[in-house]
Amino acid sequence: MTAPNILVLMACFWAFVVPSVAGLPDAASTPQKPAAASRDTSKFAGLSEAAGKAREENRDDDAIRLYREALKLEPAWKQGLWFLGILLYDKEQYPEVRDLMRRFVAEEPEAGAGWALLGMSEFQTREYPRALDHLQHARTLGLGDRKEMAQTLFYYVSVLLTRFEQYDDAMALLMGMRKSGSSGDLLTEPVGLAALRYPLLPAEIPPDRKEMFRMAGQAALADEAQKPDEAERLLLAMTTTYPNEPGVHFLYGVFLLNIRPADGIKELERELEAAPYNLTAKLRLADEYLKEQQFDEALRLAQEVVGVEPDNASGFLVLGETLVAKGDLNRGIEALETSRKLRPATVRTHWDLLRAYTSAGRVEDAKREKEEIEKLRRPDTP
Amino acid sequence: MLATALLLLSVSFANPAVADAPPASFESIAKEADQARQADRLSDAIDLYSKAVRLRPAWAEGWWWLGSIFYEQDRFSEAEKPFKRFIVLSPKPAPAYAFLALCEYETQDYSRALLHFQLWAKAGSPGNDALLDVATYRWALLLTREGRFNEALLLLAAKAQKLGATPSLTEAIGLSSLRMAFLPEDYPQERREAAWLAGMAAFYCLKSDFPRSDEFAGRLLRHYGQEPNVHYFRGTLLRLQQKLDPAAEEFQKELQISPRHAPALTELAASRVEAGRPAEALTPARRAVALDPKSARAHYILGWALLETGSYQESAHELEIAKGLAPESSRVRFALSNAYKRLARQQDYKREHAAFLALKDKDNVLAPLEDKLRAPRGTGRPE
Repeated sequence: MTAPNILVLMACFWAFVVPSVAGLPDAASTPQKPAAASRDTSKFAGLSEAAGKAREENRDDDAIRLYREALKLEPAWKQGLWFLGILLYDKEQYPEVRDLMRRFVAEEPEAGAGWALLGMSEFQTREYPRALDHLQHARTLGLGDRKEMAQTLFYYVSVLLTRFEQYDDAMALLMGMRKSGSSGDLLTEPVGLAALRYPLLPAEIPPDRKEMFRMAGQAALADEAQKPDEAERLLLAMTTTYPNEPGVHFLYGVFLLNIRPADGIKELERELEAAPYNLTAKLRLADEYLKEQQFDEALRLAQEVVGVEPDNASGFLVLGETLVAKGDLNRGIEALETSRKLRPATVRTHWDLLRAYTSAGRVEDAKREKEEIEKLRRPDTP
Repeated sequence: MLATALLLLSVSFANPAVADAPPASFESIAKEADQARQADRLSDAIDLYSKAVRLRPAWAEGWWWLGSIFYEQDRFSEAEKPFKRFIVLSPKPAPAYAFLALCEYETQDYSRALLHFQLWAKAGSPGNDALLDVATYRWALLLTREGRFNEALLLLAAKAQKLGATPSLTEAIGLSSLRMAFLPEDYPQERREAAWLAGMAAFYCLKSDFPRSDEFAGRLLRHYGQEPNVHYFRGTLLRLQQKLDPAAEEFQKELQISPRHAPALTELAASRVEAGRPAEALTPARRAVALDPKSARAHYILGWALLETGSYQESAHELEIAKGLAPESSRVRFALSNAYKRLARQQDYKREHAAFLALKDKDNVLAPLEDKLRAPRGTGRPE
């Protein structure tokens, strides 16, 4: 990811991204505080005009100096904050950009690009929780129809989601980027990290396992591109080269479940040998045993998951499904209700409960679940 | 910025001491400022509060809100002055110490931030849960940066018990656990995985989920076992599980990598005393004291080992040094009282035993933060 490209776009599309100030001439009509002396007003007008001219003529150092001087006179001058921010970002002066953008978004809270530049600066100063917060806010506000800019934003958001252990959300975003045309090379390591569920940034990958993450990323991208043979070749090579690393057998196993379930189960079992507390793998295996009607195995694994993590909604979901499948309707309903309480917005849980209540003759409860499903499926449901 | 709004808390304001006669427009400007703030027109509110405090510099409430709004907007350098003014003017300034410290953390004025966190704690750590969480977290980060790892871990462990294994907390715990004197923002990126694995291992150990802790610790050792502090950390985890001999082995492995690692020597000695072999503890304990003569824990462990081997006079001497370095430690007082008892120094025994009884409930709780953290850096204390 190189910063300058996106900044050129940001600068060029000032008018699009910050519509409320887009029509402002550089200086002449910028409101002055009533107390400001007319000499200062005139000086500010001169400085701001000169700054804009220097920027347009690519005399960046002059422009930076002039913007700084103008902002001393008018600290809330939005265009000045913005353009000084992007000029300094280009010069990798990230702490100063961050501070400028904090002032900018305070003045212009609906400017998605301002939040994006703030978040990108915070990414560079390694204030990751804030960066993710602000980049997500930029995403919510939108950046207009600037595709390249959005792709850059999505990239930063996705790698931060992985670092904050939100792997599924990161993967969904990365695959969306791939479908939108982002380069596979750019996405390989981020996808590999999310797929293997390591909370690291690409820059934090240990050198001795760089290849492992690249293989995982390439395989996941190949699978997404409907190239299963290539994906399997890569996954097999990865599990052979890194047989003891947590995550590798899980990834291969999940892939195999779709094409050769028995082999997939074996890989997931290998994963649990390498990483007995990979609860995601344990749960996926339980789910598969349930599909294969190996209820005792499914039950054992699901019980292990909820035993270790009593707030694991997916664990209670699979546990409930297994108990119901085994004919233990009461305990099954109890587990499903726990899952619903922990994570109310999962449609699958409500379907399970609908069926279980119906089997138990609890008509009113079944009706309520049906209503809940309809509610969750409405497009305006968050 | 989006989350910090939660931190803003109302404080009770005493009537400000108004030195000069209120200018005619102050009341209306202050009222407008409050209205702007309540309507979330924060830029207007900043302008209005600024005008109001210019008109009436002793208006503590105005300074408070001005600082709070800047803080909410992550404009930390601008928030510092209002909080400082509020502290001077308000009869109850304590919450502002925490906010000022948080601002100073962000502006990298770390020594002042530490000082103000201490003042906040001394006043009883007032504030809502959100402030308590963020302030103790940042404070712990600074303690880690200062090399006061165990004090940091004390704070972080309490947060982890409350909030669970959040990514930020586990990273912070990992840094302290591996004795990396850095902030999360500035440690070498190639150490990230090690910090994460250590943080997870420590977190599950705190939760007494030892198998899970062992899995993360195993991964840490597999990839980073040749780096300093990793075996030391593993040893501390094993000691917490009362696996004393395996712990001692890990401390010895650490000493092969870092021969002058005073904490590893200290903990090796402690493991041997705990395992009922105090004579074997004497050599590493003496080396630890020689390497780090300001470490209260090193003196304490040596004193304890000497006590267990019958060298009461020398034990009392070491424990007196430990007491001087960490007067609030109940463990030191307990051991010292026993040494005096063996030496038939009845008055001294009674005094130290009474001190032990007074202090004993303060070792494992956050309540006496100011006691635990009062001493300046370098004095050391039992950990």
